[in-house]
Order: sequence, then structure tokens, then C-alpha cells
Amino acid sequence: MGRPAILPAPLDDRAISTGFGALDAILGLGGLPRAAATALHGEGTSGKTTLALQAVAQAQAAGGIVAYLDLARSLDPVEAVARGVQLEWLVVLTPDSLEEALAMAAMLLQDRTVDLLLLDLPYRPLSGAGLSAAVLAERFNRLAALARRAGVQLLVLEPPNLPSALSGVLTQVSALRLELSRRAWIRLGGDVVGQRTEVRVSRDRFGPPGRAAELRILYTEGGLRDACLARVELLRETVGPGGKPEAGRAGSAAPVRLVPVVAAPWAGVQAGSRVRAAPPGGSRPTALFRAVRPSPPLPFRRNPVHADATPSSSLAPPSPPSGSQPSLSAIRGGADRPGRQALDGRESSRREQVGPGDGSKAGHAARGGP
Amino acid sequence: MTRLLREHPLIEVELGPDGQLAAFRWNGRREQVEVCNRWRVEENWWSQPISRDYFKVAGQTWLALLYLDRVDGSWHLERLYD
Amino acid sequence: MGVRLGMPLGAAHRLAPEALFLDPDPAADAAALEAALERLAGFSPGLAAETDASMPGFGRVEVQLDGLERLWGSETVIVRRIGEAMAGILPGPPLAGIGGTRFGAAMAAAATAPASGTASGAAPASVAVALRVIGPGADTDFLAGLPAAMLSRDPETRARLERFGLRLIGQVAELPRSAVVARFGPDGARLHARARGEETDPFRPRRAPERLILALPIDPPVADVEGLRFVLHRLAGAFGDQLEARGAAAAWARLTLELDRSFSAGDVPASMVVDQHLPEPTSEGLAIERLLIARLEAAPPRAPIARVELELGNVAPAAGTQLALFTPQTGRTGRLGWQLARLGLRFGEERVGWMEIADPEAPLPETRWAWRGQPASGSAPPVGRVGRAR
Repeated sequence: MGRPAILPAPLDDRAISTGFGALDAILGLGGLPRAAATALHGEGTSGKTTLALQAVAQAQAAGGIVAYLDLARSLDPVEAVARGVQLEWLVVLTPDSLEEALAMAAMLLQDRTVDLLLLDLPYRPLSGAGLSAAVLAERFNRLAALARRAGVQLLVLEPPNLPSALSGVLTQVSALRLELSRRAWIRLGGDVVGQRTEVRVSRDRFGPPGRAAELRILYTEGGLRDACLARVELLRETVGPGGKPEAGRAGSAAPVRLVPVVAAPWAGVQAGSRVRAAPPGGSRPTALFRAVRPSPPLPFRRNPVHADATPSSSLAPPSPPSGSQPSLSAIRGGADRPGRQALDGRESSRREQVGPGDGSKAGHAARGGP
Repeated sequence: MTRLLREHPLIEVELGPDGQLAAFRWNGRREQVEVCNRWRVEENWWSQPISRDYFKVAGQTWLALLYLDRVDGSWHLERLYD
Repeated sequence: MGVRLGMPLGAAHRLAPEALFLDPDPAADAAALEAALERLAGFSPGLAAETDASMPGFGRVEVQLDGLERLWGSETVIVRRIGEAMAGILPGPPLAGIGGTRFGAAMAAAATAPASGTASGAAPASVAVALRVIGPGADTDFLAGLPAAMLSRDPETRARLERFGLRLIGQVAELPRSAVVARFGPDGARLHARARGEETDPFRPRRAPERLILALPIDPPVADVEGLRFVLHRLAGAFGDQLEARGAAAAWARLTLELDRSFSAGDVPASMVVDQHLPEPTSEGLAIERLLIARLEAAPPRAPIARVELELGNVAPAAGTQLALFTPQTGRTGRLGWQLARLGLRFGEERVGWMEIADPEAPLPETRWAWRGQPASGSAPPVGRVGRAR
């Protein structure tokens, strides 16, 4: 059903791709800034969680370790994995309050052991016990400055009901602020399977604000029906209050390219033989895109040098035993070794260090496509 | 991406004149919805039975997944699509 | 043919009447394998083998070829030489496979047709080694057509692969990694990497040799240090490749030069030894070579050199390379582990941890995943790995 798209890396290695080409195109750096704060704001079902997790997957694909400050307590790891997030490089911290979250974040930033800090502010009102909004705002300010100095990417998911003091400081400290708003549901038959959302750049330190892009996000269920999601002619959009179906327009002609399906391989596979009335295709919705992973290092090196020498050890062989034929496997060396001068004068390839080293943000993986 | 709410918070629902789910109340807000899909999950009948009627609903603000716990009659919010 | 391990002899005989059934002699088998490994140690310090005769993998030997071409010739030549060295020790010529990963090489060996038919009781004098070579970069293609069941020994995993209709390794390789992990859990990552021709398991030599020692004769003997550089380069380079492939580093080197005193004065010694501690543990052959050459240039040998022996010692795992899976993040896991331990101490250990997939197929979403916290302080940090149950 089509291979996942490999999105070209942003031209600037100060940024990480959002995973959506159309969105990258309207951002000053061509992606989310690596050493600054980005705020995502959107009400309800607007795609900001999708975007945030895509950013996590992209950061990890570029060799980064991600810390997730889970105030919202609503991350679905199964979906995250299907989206390309690597759970083994996602440290999850579960603070009890925003104050605790900021303290944890400050510790992480001081040690510079993570590359992306995702702060997921909750939908319910924050437990206000303790510090006033003004003090929290000040701490936030300091955190953003710490992140900038440490070269760590800060991503904040901003719910709509944030106290104004906080949302104010968030606007101030963010180098990039994106506002997401859903424009239409995407339907397959009677079911809502996705949304078309507009992302507007309300603030961008690295480029002109005010630009907008449209993203189409589809929620797959991991089953047979997902095959239909790639058939654009089967989808239609509806707009209107309460999401009630109105005369919808055909689901094509969107200005942005649909990011290709990743759930497709499981189409046609019904896991297990559970007997239950499930929605067509199962009950695990997942969104529909793919994180970029760097290609693995080439495992081989051809060294054509010939030499003539004999091994030095010798042993008297014992009497031949019974038994089966042994097998001998020889493992060839790798291409990613530091350059050596081959005897015939050819230099074999140098190993490129993939991903950030200790704190340095050279961004090797962002260079060129796989 | 969806948010899988850790504790499946309790919600209140309103049924319309035809007995269909018409709105739900969560976090102090009321959301009028349309049901766009539904199914039932039954598990563990031999030990701790689970029987849930799931409803995928679309409203002004949210696309969400609710369920009726048929064992005790309570309504819950399981997922928010975002 | 249907003959299975543990089947009564009579039944097996009925299934394959023409086969020759040899009495098992595990002690002799094990001794033969040990002898073979001793012989192989002269070729490569990187050897691994299953030496327990009761284990299914018994008889499989892995030889690390990194850097050896410099010394013993091309891959096919090396294998031929190994075959010659093995003649008389093993009951028949080994089935050899060469590949870019341990799994690939093992599959290549398994796919080789025996050169001399079924095993016979007597050891043949010299028979060509049956060899299957996977060309560089061709692991994925070679593996693609093999049964997916070969990816794992676990019957549960094999059953799962079959349930999902994944019959060939190529089908698994084509899937996105995330999809495999979502269905098979953390092991899925290894399955997928293996299917794709990526190395998944670290190569653990059966004996981490305390001494790495290799020697080469020089004929005709060279009169000056410059002439020695050529040979030293090969030796140091071979060691460097081996060390690096194993994520190890050496901190000490000894160079022993045998001198040709035919035309020298009477007081010239027969050999010259240079002991050199390295400024820091390294696997850089070039660095070792340069240092030794500099020592020799400062105090040159007094007669032509007829043999060079290089020994490396104080070999230990290189810092930051404990994990074999080549992901960019692995070099930083030590620091991360320590920092997370500090966070746990300050905020409570239950606040810091990882999520891992338990059963992605479980009907209730809350049971599909599990929380894995930091280990109790005092034990090693988990270094960011989603692993099995502790």
C-alpha cells in the first residue's frame, strides 16, 4: 500500500522536522527549533497531541533521548510505538504538580542528558496548591532560559484553560508558537476517522509569523478497514456545529499531501480469534504517519588486501570423533570504522558519528536524507 | 493520536428523545455529540467480567471514546482524539 | 526426513533406512571442538562457540574476520586455510558461512550444501570447505527468502509470526519497525533488526583473551624502521579492528623483534623488546603503530629484523560501548542512568521510569502496557532499555 514517506531533513540543523512536510515549509527553520521552546496550542481535537508525538519520534530518529513530563496522564504507549516513538528512549516522569514538573525539568536540563523535553500540561485545572501563578511563571521563564543554554528542545502542550499568567509567559518564552484548529472531520461512511486541521504560526523567532498549513490526520484502527483510509475517494469531509453531517465535500483536493499509511501491513490480518463485536478493524485507533529513522550503518567493508602468512599455533589432532558436521560462521567487519590506509593506498570510509555526542548538537542525522 | 485517559474518568451522559446518546458532561463542560460508531467488548466472563458498550462520539470540541460499563451501569471517558 | 532429536532409534531407522546412525559420544565431540577452537585461535582472537554438547547450537563456531584479511588473505582464502587447519580434527569439513551479522553468517552456513555428502565415520584427509558467502550489503536480500521462523527459537514467537501470515524473513523486514514492536513487544525490535540484516547480538568471544598476540615473519629481513612500518601497520590494524568490533580497548603494547645477526657484531642481541604503555586505552591501530614506530626511531634496532611479534594487553571494554545495538543514543546511557537515579532519589522512584508494551493485543487498552520504574538505588541503572521482567 505504499512505503512510508521519507521526509527530507530540514535544511537547517538547528531544527528537527515536524514530520509533516507542509508544516516544515512554513516554519522559519524548516522544523521545530532544537535549542528553544515551542508551544502548541489547540482546543479539543485539534491534532496537537499527534504533532507532539510526531516531534518526539523525529527527535528520537535523529538520535535524541526524550523526557516526557506527564502531567496529563494520558499517553497511550501502544499508539506512540505504532507512530514511531521508541519507548526505550522515552523517559517518563510523572510529577504531581506543575511545580514538581518544573523542578524535574530543571534538573534534567542542568545535566543535559536529554535532547527534548515534552511538557504535557493537563486538561483539568492544575493543582494550584503551593505557588502562585506569578511565581510559576517566573520559574517557567528560568526553565526556558536553561533549555536555551543547554541546547535542549522544549515542547509544551498548552491546553485552552491555562491561567492567563502562565499562558502569557509561555507566549513570551516560546521561540515558536503554533495554533491548531480543526477545520473539518474526515469521515469514512458514517464514522469519523480523522480531521483536517489548520496549523497557524502565531509566533516564530526564526521567520515570519502568520503563515498557515493544513494537515490531514487520520486515525487508523489497525485492521482491515485501514485499507480504505488510503483510498481518498472513499473519504469525505464534513463541517458544521456538533460535527453533524452536512452536505460534505469530497475528501480530496486538500492542499497538503497526505502522509502515507503505516498501519497497512496489518491489513488482512486479524490478530487472534477473539469472538467479540468489535468495530470494523479492531478498537485501537492510531494516527497515520511515520517517523523518519536514520538508515543503519552499512555493515560491510570490502578490504581487498591480500597477504600471505601462516598461523603460528599447531596442535596434534586427537582421534576423530563421531557426531554431526560442525558449522562455521565467519562474521565480516563493518564499514563504519575509522579510516585505515589499505595497503594498496585506498582509504576506507570514515565512521560518522551518528546523533549527538555528549551534549553537542551537531545534528549529523539531520543532514541529507537516508 | 489519541489520549488514553489513565483512570477512565466518570462522566454524565444525556440521552436524546430516541434513547440515543446526545451529550456528555466532563470536567465541568457539556459537549453535545453525535455517535459515529459503537461496539461491545466482553472479556473475562470466567473471573472478573468486563462488559462495555463503546461509543465513538464527535462533538464541537472533541472526538472521543466513551463507554458504558454494563456491569455497574457507569459511563466513562476512555479516549480523547487529538 | 522427519527424524527428530530424541526419537527412538528404531523409529528413526524406519524413516531413513539409508542413514548411518553413529553412537553419540558427547565427550569426544566436545574435545574435538575444543581442539578446533585452539587451532582457530591462531587465526583470530575473536572466537565464539557453543561448546556444550547438549545444547542445540553445539558445533557452531563463530569467527570474527575483522582485520584478518590483512594477515591471512581474502575471505575465501581464510576459510580454505581454516578448513585445512581443521582437517583431521573434525569429522568432516565444516559448513561455512560468511555474512555481515552473526545471524546472517549462521544462516549462510546452514544454507550451505555439504561438500562431501553425509558425515562419514573417518576423517577425510582434505576436502574443500563448503562455503556460502553473503556479499557485502547483501544480507537483507539473502535473508529475505528464508523462513521467518528462523528469526527466533521461541515457539511462541514462531506461532505468532505464522498467525500474522509472516512466512518469510523478507516480509518481516518490509514492515515498519514500530509495527513489529507493537505486535511482538520489545523483542520485536530485535526480530526486525535481525530480519533487516542488522546486528542484534553482541559478539562475545568465548575467551576474552588476556593477551592478544600475533606475529609475522619478514623475509628478507628489513634493515630499517621504515621497512618495519608496513608489517606493523598490518598487525596493529588487525588488532584494532578486532578490538573495535568487540567494543574493547587495549592499554599496553609489547613489540618483540627477532633480529638477523648474520652480518652483525657479536654483541647484538637476538631479539629486541619494546614495552609501551598507551596514554589511554584505545582500539586505534594507527595510534598504536605510530607510537611504537616513534619508540623504534628513537632507539633503532641494531640488526635487520626477521620477525615481528605484537602483543596487546590490558584489554578491557571500551567506555560507553556496552550496548551492541547500534543506535545513536547508546553512548549516553551511562550518564542518563545516573541522572535518573538522582531524580528518583529526589522526587520518589515511582515518579521516574519507562513505559513498555505488555500485550498489544489485550482487549482492554489499559492492560496493553506496563510501567517500569527505576530499579532500587544501589543496583545498576537500566540505561534506558525496555527489557524483560526483572
